[in-house]
Amino acid sequence: MEILKVEDLRFAYPGEKTDTLDKISFSVDAGEFICLCGPTGCGKSTLLRLLKKELQPRGDIRGRILFNDKDISEDEYDTSSAIGFVMQSPDEQIVTDTVWHELAFGLENIGMKREKIALKIAEIASYFGISSWYDKKVSELSGGQKQILNLAAVMVMSPDVLILDEPTSQLDPIAASDFIATVKKLNREFSLTVIITEHRLEDVIPISDRVMVLKQGEILCFGDPDDVVSKIRETSDLISAMPSAVQLYHAVGGKGKCPLDVRDGRNFIEKNFLPSSVSLPTDKYIHADDVALEMNKVFFRYSKQMPDVLDLMSLKVYSGETYFILGSNGSGKTTALGIASGIYTPYSGKVKVFGKNVRDYKNNSLYKNCLAYLPQDVETVFLENTVGEELKDAMEEARELPFDVDRLLSKHPYDLSGGEKQLVALAKVLSQKPQILLLDEPTKGIDAASKRRLAEIIKALKNRGITVVAVTHDVDFAAMTADRCGMFFRGRIVSENTTREFFSDNDFYTTAVNRMTRDYYSMAVTVSDCAELCMKNIREEGTVK
Amino acid sequence: MIVINNSGLRRVLRITVPFVIIPLTVFLGTFIVPQKSYLFVSFAVTVMALILFISGFDRKKTGSRRLVISSVMTALCIIGRFIPVFKPITALTVITGIHIGGESGFLVGALAALISNFFSGQGPWTPFQMLAWGLIGLFAGLLSPFLKRSRWIIVAYGTVTGMIFSLIMDVWTVLWGGGFSAELYLAAVVAAIPHTVVYSLSNMIFLIILSKPFGEKLERIKLKYGV
Amino acid sequence: MRTFKDSNPIAVTLYFLFVTGITMFLFDPILNGISFLGALIFSLVCGDGRDNKKHLLCLVLFVATALINPLVSHNGVTVLFFINDNPITLESLLYGCSNAFMLVSVLYWFSCFSCLMDSDKLLYVFGSFSPKAALVFSMALRYIPLFGDRSKKIRATQKTMGLYKDGNILDMIRGRVREFSIMTTWALEKGIITADSMSARGYGQGRRTRFTNFRFYLCDVILLILSSVLAVFVIMSAVKHDFVFYPAIVAPKMSLISVIGYVSYGVLVLIPTINEWKEEIRWRYLRSKI
Repeated sequence: MEILKVEDLRFAYPGEKTDTLDKISFSVDAGEFICLCGPTGCGKSTLLRLLKKELQPRGDIRGRILFNDKDISEDEYDTSSAIGFVMQSPDEQIVTDTVWHELAFGLENIGMKREKIALKIAEIASYFGISSWYDKKVSELSGGQKQILNLAAVMVMSPDVLILDEPTSQLDPIAASDFIATVKKLNREFSLTVIITEHRLEDVIPISDRVMVLKQGEILCFGDPDDVVSKIRETSDLISAMPSAVQLYHAVGGKGKCPLDVRDGRNFIEKNFLPSSVSLPTDKYIHADDVALEMNKVFFRYSKQMPDVLDLMSLKVYSGETYFILGSNGSGKTTALGIASGIYTPYSGKVKVFGKNVRDYKNNSLYKNCLAYLPQDVETVFLENTVGEELKDAMEEARELPFDVDRLLSKHPYDLSGGEKQLVALAKVLSQKPQILLLDEPTKGIDAASKRRLAEIIKALKNRGITVVAVTHDVDFAAMTADRCGMFFRGRIVSENTTREFFSDNDFYTTAVNRMTRDYYSMAVTVSDCAELCMKNIREEGTVK
Repeated sequence: MIVINNSGLRRVLRITVPFVIIPLTVFLGTFIVPQKSYLFVSFAVTVMALILFISGFDRKKTGSRRLVISSVMTALCIIGRFIPVFKPITALTVITGIHIGGESGFLVGALAALISNFFSGQGPWTPFQMLAWGLIGLFAGLLSPFLKRSRWIIVAYGTVTGMIFSLIMDVWTVLWGGGFSAELYLAAVVAAIPHTVVYSLSNMIFLIILSKPFGEKLERIKLKYGV
Repeated sequence: MRTFKDSNPIAVTLYFLFVTGITMFLFDPILNGISFLGALIFSLVCGDGRDNKKHLLCLVLFVATALINPLVSHNGVTVLFFINDNPITLESLLYGCSNAFMLVSVLYWFSCFSCLMDSDKLLYVFGSFSPKAALVFSMALRYIPLFGDRSKKIRATQKTMGLYKDGNILDMIRGRVREFSIMTTWALEKGIITADSMSARGYGQGRRTRFTNFRFYLCDVILLILSSVLAVFVIMSAVKHDFVFYPAIVAPKMSLISVIGYVSYGVLVLIPTINEWKEEIRWRYLRSKI
């Protein structure tokens, strides 16, 4: 049964001549799981918001949007509970201070009776397994828990359609998979219609019924996932957001059915390529003699009563090296970076930057021509009302970065996209002319294209001799970028190695490509590694020639 | 809700409280019970006036954006004690009143007083502070076309209302200290001079520093999101 | 089995209004004394009695208020001694003491009250007057820890951007203002997401209802009725007689009515304490059976 139908929808923001959305027509059946993808700025978010009456942006809307065969623009048609909407940021979507109040909020708004609200909350809390949070303050929850709460607070209104606008982009991979799994469960168990956009499509594409690709405000294609992903060959911007199996399929010029997840990807490889024990030739690891950043047996805790966050942490990063610290959320990675950058002082142990104790850098000399730090929340860098003012002393750096900064100069920093915001902040930080750059979770909240661009920037910085130390839980990004990686667990680095060895040694904490090629090829970590190996071992009877 | 969920009852209260109950309390307090009752009268009248103002605002529909801005400003009042001793409550209340309106100004002032007393201690003074700060915000909203003319008018308004606030709180101190008398009041005012000076000074400084950038930020938000 | 602590917050609030209202409204040293004892006992029972700083503060306040009256007011006939040719009278000293009792007991009652009421309960009481104010209150409480967290992040970032010089106060203040400014922009810009999230969940569509976790149980109703009946007794008996300080102290004669009044007030101020004790005993008894 058709639940949502969009007929010849066009939309233009006020004061803009070109339409952001053009001739959009499609329909969605009840119970479908639809994934909407496309490069940043293609109009995904605008389209999603147009479907939700209360969130429609101001501007010129033409065409019709029918929900259950009724035009949603009719004044008396209230779809606030029938269409649920979950947004990106876990923190800002929460309205009230306690979990119970947050769950009740929507039901209060639609004027539901108290007894009924109590019942609904009991149901939803039990279903989501969050009864034990009931009395908690929302500030005590983790990012993933907050997002689950946001989902529950929308689901409590029993919507027919659930719209999710990049719901996991601020979460770590574990929390993101949990979240997507919950959405899938809702879709399967209640035949809830789901329309979702995501930066990371690894988990989403395989469970979607249909995929829609938008490009410059138009529908490029809309159909079965394996069909759609095999069509988007030419637009490489989209490819990098796809699951690794899809990327591999395109990289080796695959034909026929496109694999979507690791299992299919493995089958695809086995069917088309021969196993091999010969690994790719690797450059021997050589490092400079001088140590850029050294942490020696560092202990740290935030207050006397709290447990140690860093516990015998030692680390040596050589000059000119790109070093990634990987680990799960809340393990203390960010704190480690805070110690390295002199924000916090350890209670025991030594931290040296270029051989000199961090404490001996007086009067900010550490932050001039020496060390710079790009935080996870890049908004903390911005002070001014326009990008131009923000970059007053950093224009030189900004022009070196691969983006069109002039177009942005008159904009407010908060009006930029995630990727642009990050580049502006990076330019500003680089104007300190650092020899060491510290990056905290640099891929959080940015799309695949920006990620790729960031990887190139880091490589360019390396070529200029700048040492880069980053913490992340994005294994694909680390595999693409790092010279060496360290695994951070319980307050210290438990293992470290050059990137390729590091990921091939890990069984669980590794890239999808590595999991796909386990015991088939050795040391294939990135899509390009694997493609290269595949092309050397083509199976005669396979479809790839 | 059991107490006043009924809109009819709410309406009745809205009329009887200002026109019947408050005058009656004052009358009873001053003429029937002979001693000390001004203490109780002042307390009761304040509480009732506060309830009246707050529930009066409830009739008007407020958009979610305006509500969010009010809560953000309230939270900033509490978080903004970044310079020791100095509190930005008056300054932020005034700024909110001017740019977002009297209603928001009242809510921010009153709620900031309530929440800030969670940290510094609730007491019988809480309702007085809530009403006083609320009114500073309300009047800032009502006078906003005049206040918007110059930053210095805003600074003057904040400083003067802050001083009046202190002087009124001194009346209250004296009332609690054993009955009103001119000497006692004078003594209280003199004793409170350091506090009043710090308080006025902090209002002045905060308004000088904050009124322009905060005004810009709030105006941008209003423009961008059509509040 | 519900203690006073767990009673319906509206019943609790009204109870506190009765008790403090009577203390403020009726100026009778005996009532003030009863009120003070009740408040002191309850503050020891309900757990915030260990706060020695509070007791000290109250003591200082008590002495100050008790002494300031005889120094300023020279009414009364029984002169005790002279200071700078001004008579210090027994009456005005006692008046001051009585007043000090009143002040300190109100303070104790308030501290007990804020000890019992957390933000959820306050929200519930508040919300009965204005759901809107209650919502803003709840949202502000949500924002405070969020903003606190952010200001830490901002400070860390700005530190690495060379914002602070070592040990320069002016520089520190300038830095703090800058941080506050960043935080405000952040809060306001991101606040729009909150507003969207509210609208998306139907805020502003119609009349809101209010969900609470509190109900009126029989014992709350009993508490409410009991305390209002006792309060009426106290007031009725107290209006009948006057305690006169000036020019000479004239204590009203003890009559049946006044005794009823005092006893009623005594019971009223002890309700919470008795309730806590009762539950404590019942729980012990129950535990011995388990």
